[in-house]
Amino acid sequence: MSIDLGSSPAHGGPQVSDADIARLLSRLYEVISFPEGGEPDWGGMADVFSTHARITRITPEGTDYFDLPTFQAMAQELVRIGAYTAFHETEVACRVERFGNVAHVASAYETRREPGARACLSRGINSLQLVRENDGWRVLSLCWDDEALKERDVRALLGADHHG
Amino acid sequence: MVDRRYRFSPSRIVDTADRYVGAAEDHGVIMNRAGSYAGREVEIEGRELRSFGSCSYLGLELRPELRQGVREAVDRYGTQMPFSRAYLENALYEELEAGLSAMTGRPALVGASTTLAHFAALPVLVRDGDAVIIDQFAHASLHSATSLLHDTQVEMLRHQRFDQLEARLHALSSTHRRVWYVGDGVYSMRGDLARFADLRTLLERHPALHLYIDDAHATSWYGTHGRGGALSELGGHERVVVALSLNKAFAAAGGALLLPDRKLLKRIRRCGGPMLFSGPIQPPMLGAAVASARLHLDPSFPSLQAELGSLIERANRALSGTGVPLASTDATPIFMVPCEAPEIAFDVVRRLRTLGFYACPSTFPAVPVNQPGVRFTVTRHNTAEDVDDFVEALTTAFYEANEPATVPRSREVHALRDEAAASVR
Repeated sequence: MSIDLGSSPAHGGPQVSDADIARLLSRLYEVISFPEGGEPDWGGMADVFSTHARITRITPEGTDYFDLPTFQAMAQELVRIGAYTAFHETEVACRVERFGNVAHVASAYETRREPGARACLSRGINSLQLVRENDGWRVLSLCWDDEALKERDVRALLGADHHG
Repeated sequence: MVDRRYRFSPSRIVDTADRYVGAAEDHGVIMNRAGSYAGREVEIEGRELRSFGSCSYLGLELRPELRQGVREAVDRYGTQMPFSRAYLENALYEELEAGLSAMTGRPALVGASTTLAHFAALPVLVRDGDAVIIDQFAHASLHSATSLLHDTQVEMLRHQRFDQLEARLHALSSTHRRVWYVGDGVYSMRGDLARFADLRTLLERHPALHLYIDDAHATSWYGTHGRGGALSELGGHERVVVALSLNKAFAAAGGALLLPDRKLLKRIRRCGGPMLFSGPIQPPMLGAAVASARLHLDPSFPSLQAELGSLIERANRALSGTGVPLASTDATPIFMVPCEAPEIAFDVVRRLRTLGFYACPSTFPAVPVNQPGVRFTVTRHNTAEDVDDFVEALTTAFYEANEPATVPRSREVHALRDEAAASVR
């Protein structure tokens, strides 16, 4: 599902399209995922997130508010202590609302032990706010709840607008 | 590249662990209580289950020699030695340490548990100017012990990534006097062995490298007189300190440090915190430990190890044709079946119980969040028939829990197993 309420270029740049946003979301899941023994693509994250980005992680134990460097440090600590040895998260459905150079995205995700695994380790919805900067779309805010939707059909929650 | 360090608060770690452990408890698959225990069987919720979860790999805890050792110790000393060991120790300690030295060829120092032995040894062994590198899957007791090294640089190593260890050795050797690598001999969850050949090569290449190996899960069943993997495979190297467990396969109580020289032993005995300030092993279990050490030195002992070895081989052979995955195929008594989600691991364990078997789920924080599984062990309490029956039950439970539509019928499981057995004959 996509709602476009105007796509006037910011700063004199080119027209934006859903494809640009789709590419950004695809890249987001690529840079946070990593194979056994690997690490997230730290450098890639810097291309995906705005330098002004905020990342908010909600867990039953509390809510963490990060800027990108602190989020990366937290993720690296999870890898360092062996809490995660691999991470495979993919988007399974998506809803985008675009308002000029701002877009709201609800991106349903599933996390698996391996890319081909049938069962999920986790699922939920990433709530994103995107902003179009000089050279393209960036994530300005990423917020998700680790546990709330684990047992829900997250595709159905978004009307199953599959994004590939 | 990430240029800053994030630390989770201790409370946050506890709260998160509580959530994950609580989930397993809510499924009824951990925190269970045994009504009775007879080695081969364990009674849970009124049902006799054949046990594939015990760490008593050689099944020594029910032997008459160890029971007799307990009785004799109680007759001589009563139920407790009411002194700090720093002041006055039970004479059985001397006998036990002599037995352990005979088993291992090294000076032996007994601690009240393996964990307390780590707590005593590491703060004494690691000196100012040393660095420590610990395997991320090293036993939790080692991580707790290294957290006591307040002013020491402690780094975490991805599991057995000795290429990364060597890179860090190159870097740290120029700034630190010694670099301690801390890891397990057999990793208690996945059941994989330390890559001793690689560690030996690193010891030869790097004079600054010292090893501290927790061989708790290799004690007794591995090596001459049950001295474990590290002492067997590293040849008693002078830069290697080993901790053994006197629980588990040794079937008594406590832990033991096997040290390269008596001077170091004296130092840990004098200065290692729990050696001075924690309670001793009490006479009944010291008696059991002395009897167990004698048994380890008995000429019949290798036959017990061989019996276990043949059961491990049988389990690996039977599993190889079933399609049930294993995290490691190292020849150890510990097996881990990876599952795609914790709920699947819980389901496999519950189905196994319905089929009459006890095994354990393994989820965070015992293993990484992304590596849930079912852990089972093979011990001398199990018969060959038990192993065959368990593998069949596990195969059925695993397929049913994962994909109900494609459950192999029992006949097909038998055919798969027969095919695998034929291929190794």
